[in-house]
Parts: sequence; C-alpha cells; structure tokens
Amino acid sequence: MVPDPGMPPTRSLASRLSRHPAFLGALIGILAAFSQALLISAGGPEAYGFCVACHTRDLVNGMTNIIAGTSLALAAISKNALLPVMSVAGVLIGAFLSAKVHREHRIRRSDARGYLVYFLGGVIVLQLAMIFGGCPYRAALRTGYGDVTALVFIITMAAGVVAGTVLMLKRAEAGEEP
Amino acid sequence: MATGILSSDAAVIAVPVVTLALGILIGYLAQRSGYCSVGGFRDYYLFRHTRVLSGYLTLIAASFAGYLIFWFLTPAAMEHFFWAAAGTPLSPVPGAPGGLNTAAYLIFAAVPGFLVGFICIILGGCPIRQTVMASEGNVRAGFFFIGMCVGSIIFAAVVSGWVVTLMQALGFGA
Repeated sequence: MVPDPGMPPTRSLASRLSRHPAFLGALIGILAAFSQALLISAGGPEAYGFCVACHTRDLVNGMTNIIAGTSLALAAISKNALLPVMSVAGVLIGAFLSAKVHREHRIRRSDARGYLVYFLGGVIVLQLAMIFGGCPYRAALRTGYGDVTALVFIITMAAGVVAGTVLMLKRAEAGEEP
Repeated sequence: MATGILSSDAAVIAVPVVTLALGILIGYLAQRSGYCSVGGFRDYYLFRHTRVLSGYLTLIAASFAGYLIFWFLTPAAMEHFFWAAAGTPLSPVPGAPGGLNTAAYLIFAAVPGFLVGFICIILGGCPIRQTVMASEGNVRAGFFFIGMCVGSIIFAAVVSGWVVTLMQALGFGA
C-alpha cells in the first residue's frame, strides 16, 4: 500500500477513488443510512449515522457516565447501548493508520497561544454544533433526511465561510503592505 | 419506536462495534482525500475549485439516496423519512434541544451555522478535518479535539440548560 516514489502517474482505480472526496461523501451517505437501518432499535435520533460533534459528545459523556457515575446528557442510542458510539475514536484510529501507512504522519508543534486558540475554538464549535444539533456532517445527513432547518444551517455556514475567507484575505493583504 | 434490522438486544451490542468500524473506514479515507466541509466552500469561493466541495455536496445527495433506499427496504427504521413531508416541515429531526418553537430552531440553525463556518475556516478546517489533522500529528488540531471533548461536558453540564432557559425567556417556548 505504500506508494512507490517511482510509480508511474497512472494510478489504479481504487487508489484514485480513495483519494477523491466525492467517493467518501457517497460512502458516508450510504453507510449512515445503512447504520440507521441496522441499529435504530437501540434508540434514536434519526439521521444520526455519522457526526463528529455529536458522536464526540456521546463518547466523552457516555464514558464519563460509565467511569465516574455521572448522568451527563447524551443521545438515546449511546445511552441504551453497551458502550456509546465509537465513530470518532474510529476516525482518529483510521486517520492515524492511513497517515502512518502513507508516511504522512509528522508531529507539527505550535506555540502556547496557538494551542489555546485551537482549544477554545474546539470548545466553542462544540457548543454551537450542539445548539444546532449536529456538525456539518449531521447537517448534511439531516438535509438528506428532509430537514429544512439543516439546509438553513448549511447555507449560513457557507456564508460564514465566505465572511471568514474575506477577513483572512484582508488580513493577508494588510500584512503584505509595509 | 423505530425498529431496525437488528433486534434491540443485538443492536445495543452492535452499536460500538459497527460505529467503530465505520469510523475507521471514514478516518482512513478522510486522511487520503483531505475531506473537509468548510474547506470546500472556501476553495470554491477563492479559486472556483470544486474537488473538495464535491465531497460535501455528494454527501448530501448520497444520504438522501441512502435513506430513500433503506426507506424502501426497512421502512420501520426510517420512521420520519422524508421529514419535510412527514410532519411539521420547519421543525428539526429530533436531536436538538427540546421545548422550543419553530422560530427558535431556525435561529439555532442560522446563527450557529454562520459562526461554525466562520470559526472553522479561520482555524483551517471543519471538525472532521481537525480530527484527521490531529491524527496526522498536528498538535494544534489535537488541542481543537481536546477542546471538543471538554466542550461536551461543559455543554451537557451548563450550556444546554442556559440556552433553552434563555430562549424561553425571550418568548420562543413551544
């Protein structure tokens, strides 16, 4: 699986597919529906097959409840199951394996300010995602499930991205001038 | 109560196993493809590049197709599909904070949507991209993930109650 540096530019179909975001998008969509069809007897909510923010919440709060005996809120599917949903742990493992196999794993450090900003960013994004009831991925699943509020989330998210990009462009231009 | 392919006795055991396998597959391919939701909109806005955006748009279309297929195969597992046609079109699929009216849910979608897009693009990636970058050895992204973990407890213990109380006090109660 390790790509040979002398490999000819024509890659195999499987390799090209695995590197295209649209393939993963199609896969998550179908598998999220399959996972709901398979597991919904354990509990809701619907359109919950994959979500980075919600599943992190379920994993952290569920394990905290089991270990510390607390009763932090989490989705019914994770409350009823033997252990909470593990997809985020899976993403960490899968991405680590892929990075190792393809020799793209490299420790990149930053400074304390960067760590603090990203930590606070994580806390805030999680609050916002939970207020809406999902990260961008569950928003996509909910839109596919017919939820209009999720479509509103996606449209305003795109607007937020444009606003953030414009701000960064302005900053970069201001930084280039002496 | 919706019923799926597995009985509820089997499903409670299968939940961690199936979601772990699903997560490993998604994490592996997300690392390969640089999958990102907000990054797609940025690349399109800046360069008119559609590669990353295609991943997110395909996800929306494929989830509709997937839910449609399994709605035919296992209708009992897709109780409220297609939500907009099944009930009150502007209220969300369950999972958001309860006890509020439609206007509150639209605010809950619009305001966090804008801020999630804005914050994530400044930090260089949506939650899944940050998680994947953390696994690639990016320590900053690792702190983002730790922030999400700590945020989970903060939300459950403090913020979720505040938000509902605040919205009800502002007159958005159901």
